[in-house]
Amino acid sequence: MPDRNVTLGNRRYGFGVSLFTEGMRYFAFWIVAAIVLAALAPIVVAQFRSIEISAWYFPAHAGKFFTAVIAGVFLFPMLPVCIAAGLTRRELATAMKVLGLLWSGALGALAVALFLAEHAMYRAFGWTHAIEQGPVDRPFESFGAVLEHSAWLPLTYLLYFVGGALIGVASYRWDLGWLIIVPVVPTVLFLQSAIDRTEVWGPDWFKRATEPAYEWGVAPALIATVAAIVVGAWAARRILLDTPIRAKQA
Amino acid sequence: MSFSVSLRGVTLKYRATEALSDIDLDLEAGKIYGLLGRNGAGKTTLLSLLAAFRRPTAGEVRVDGRPVWENAEVVSRVALVREGGDFDDSENVRSALETGELRPSFDLDYALRLADEFELPLKTKVRELSRGKRSVLAAVSGLAARAELTMFDEVHLGMDAPTRDRFYSELLADYMERPRTVILSTHLIDEVANYLEEVVIVDRGRLLRHDPLEALQGMGAALTGPAEAVDDAVAGLETLAEQRLGGTKSVTVAGALDAGRRERAAAAGVEIGPVGLQDLFIHLTDPERTGA
Repeated sequence: MPDRNVTLGNRRYGFGVSLFTEGMRYFAFWIVAAIVLAALAPIVVAQFRSIEISAWYFPAHAGKFFTAVIAGVFLFPMLPVCIAAGLTRRELATAMKVLGLLWSGALGALAVALFLAEHAMYRAFGWTHAIEQGPVDRPFESFGAVLEHSAWLPLTYLLYFVGGALIGVASYRWDLGWLIIVPVVPTVLFLQSAIDRTEVWGPDWFKRATEPAYEWGVAPALIATVAAIVVGAWAARRILLDTPIRAKQA
Repeated sequence: MSFSVSLRGVTLKYRATEALSDIDLDLEAGKIYGLLGRNGAGKTTLLSLLAAFRRPTAGEVRVDGRPVWENAEVVSRVALVREGGDFDDSENVRSALETGELRPSFDLDYALRLADEFELPLKTKVRELSRGKRSVLAAVSGLAARAELTMFDEVHLGMDAPTRDRFYSELLADYMERPRTVILSTHLIDEVANYLEEVVIVDRGRLLRHDPLEALQGMGAALTGPAEAVDDAVAGLETLAEQRLGGTKSVTVAGALDAGRRERAAAAGVEIGPVGLQDLFIHLTDPERTGA
């Protein structure tokens, strides 16, 4: 996985890049499958009924949860592997930052590009390109409108990545560390509502808890999200730096 | 280059339990050490501190004269190979070995050569390996780490006897070619005794002994010969172990034999050899002897 020419000075960055490229390679099939499915689904459905909603919306937003799982599920088992391979916790934290930025940026850019491509396809076929937003769907009338919605995705992915990393490292650090989901999950969902103003998936209380976020303007949402990412990343790093490696189970 | 080790007043607590208590220990660079102790004595905990897997509750852990915790210069050259190794189980064997390249000193070509010699299937996922093969993978990654301080913690578990023998031989050959500090933690004491230069014994979280192997072996003797002659020779000495086959008897005793007793035993046809390390270890860590 790591570069064969690794040196001590650059290995934390090189390792982060390796994690990104290996992760992309590992999940390439599933990413391509999601893209193909989202492209074919409206064509098939159009044979039976009118198309009124974006198909790409679903995998693009599922990507947030996927990103959170990538961060959390990577950290939990890989922490002892990395320390055993002679990495410090600080270096691992830096590698995770590199991974988070690259993964969120790349997946976010892909999501934006495919929203725009889908809009072009929907226009060509004369379909309505819209997303779910509460009881009334939100139509995209132009490429600008598509961009206005989807440009948030890289930031949203990064927010979810940090949330996943925080849950992953806390779960490893403490037996009851997973309880950190209590502040993390509502915070992430609230901020997601604030920045993309789409209806949150999940139980009714999720929706009720995140409704006030719809009233936020762009600037407060952006500031709060960036602040949450910074604070979350700092907290995850702090927990990581103090984490002992668990004894192996017999 | 090899790393020295220094622990000063090191204590580690797991909640209320003290796994290590006030350990002072110095290990010179460039030797092979045996780390012995009964189950739960604190061997793995001690090694975990040297590899910065854990931070001590109190005291100071230095490797090569430098603090080890979060010190990339040091930990990148320290390898702790735990039982079964630390791998991403979803990876295949080759990828698991390549992960070792996080260390600048890791020798992938050597790792692949060893993998071939030990018949490790490179394309098989780590989780699909047998226990023995997984242990081999761990041992190979530890050898190829070429770390200045290399520690093997019960890495032999699951390996069959011929594989263990090849591992020890490979370790020794590579050690001769590239001297480093090696710590072997094991319960197969007599199996590794020939490779050790010094022995550290921990017992219930405390350092019990740290001596050169010869000094420990001089703490007793093994006498073999005609049963009656052996019984005469060991009369009045503390017996550690005893075996009898027909008219021949072998007795291991604690304490050095004086010259007169040696001469009389030799004259009666009794052969005198060094005490077996395992017998001595059992004696030294006997709860009745240590007051547990």
